[in-house]
Amino acid sequence: MAEIVGGFVVPHNPVMYFNPKGASQEQSDTVYGAYAKMADRIKELKADTAIIIGCDHYILFGTECLPRYVISTGEIEGPVDQLPGIKRAPIASNAALGEHIAQHGFATGFDWTVGRALHVDHSVGIPHHLMVKPNGGMTTVAVMLACGVDPYLPIRRAWDLGENIAEAVAGFPGSDRVVVIGSGGISHHVGDERMGEVNPDFDRKILDIVIQGDKAGMLALTDEEILRDGGNGAMEIRTYACAMAATRAAGGTVVAYEPIPGWVTGMGFAELKVAA
Amino acid sequence: MSRNSLEKVLYDLSTSGANKKLFASDPDKFLGRYQLDDQEKDLVLNYRVRELADRGVNTMLTWGFWLQAGKSNSDYMKIMKREEA
Repeated sequence: MAEIVGGFVVPHNPVMYFNPKGASQEQSDTVYGAYAKMADRIKELKADTAIIIGCDHYILFGTECLPRYVISTGEIEGPVDQLPGIKRAPIASNAALGEHIAQHGFATGFDWTVGRALHVDHSVGIPHHLMVKPNGGMTTVAVMLACGVDPYLPIRRAWDLGENIAEAVAGFPGSDRVVVIGSGGISHHVGDERMGEVNPDFDRKILDIVIQGDKAGMLALTDEEILRDGGNGAMEIRTYACAMAATRAAGGTVVAYEPIPGWVTGMGFAELKVAA
Repeated sequence: MSRNSLEKVLYDLSTSGANKKLFASDPDKFLGRYQLDDQEKDLVLNYRVRELADRGVNTMLTWGFWLQAGKSNSDYMKIMKREEA
C-alpha cells in the first residue's frame, strides 16, 4: 500500500520573485536554503509523489464558482500566474492517487470538487518548483483549499480533510511513497492597509503549534484572531492544519524562519514527523 | 449595491488580457456587461480602491486591479491608508 513518509509546511511567496531585493541577502539565502534542504529531505525519504496543499488567490476560481476544496484527478498545469523563472508548464501528475483520494472522500463524507485538467497558481507552483521538481521523476497531486477568498474553509474541516487524505493514501493499492506539503505564508496582509506588517509573535505561535503537533491549539485559532494577528494572508495556515492531520500530527522541526517585511510575509518552514 | 459584481469585474480584468484591452479602450462598453449601478461603475473607472475595499471587495483583487494598470505600489498603500496619494 502507499505510504505517507514525510511532510512539510512552507510559504509560497511570489514577492520573493517579483522583488528579490526586498529581503537582505542573508534572509534570501536562508529562505532558498530552506527550500533546498527540504528538497534534499524529500530525496532522502525516497518519495515519489507530493501532495501539495495550496489555495487559490482569486486567480483560478472567480465569483461564478468558489469551491471549498479541489483535488487534481488528471493533468495539472501551472502556475497560471507565471513568475520570473517559473513558467507555466505541465506538472507531472499522479492522477490515479488523486482520483483514489477523491473517491475515498466521496464514500466517507468529503465531496471534493475535482480538477480533471486542473490549473494551479503559485501556491502549488512555487513549492513544486523548489522542492519537487529538483527530484526528477516525482509526480504531484494538487489540492486547493478555500483560504484566500471567502467563504473560507473552516480550520476544523481542513484538519478533517487531512485525516481523510491520510486514510485514502493508506488504502491506495500502490507502493507510492508520498510527502505532504502544506503551502502557505504565516503572517501577511495582502492588498490591505496593513500590507508589509509581519508579526513574529504570531508566526512563532503557529510554528510552535505545528512542531508540537498541537491539534487543539490549531483548532482553537479563530478567524478573528488570525485576521487580527496574522492578516488576511495568514488564513492560509489552513493548509498547515491539513498537512498536520495528513501526517497524524506527530510534531516536527522548524527548518527556518525569517520575518521579512520587504516580502510582506513571515516566512516559516517546518518538517513534519509522520506518526508510526 | 453588489460586492459580487464588483469582484467579478476585477477578477475578469485580472485574468484576461482581452478584458484589459477592452476596459482600456472602451470602459463603458466593458462595464456595461455587468450588473453595476452608476456609483459602482465610477469606483471602477476611477480606481477608487479604498472605497471598493470598504464595500467588502477582496483586497487581493483591489491590489491586482491597481497594479495591472501600471500604477505604483506606494500610491496604492497611501490610498489604502487614507493618506494623500
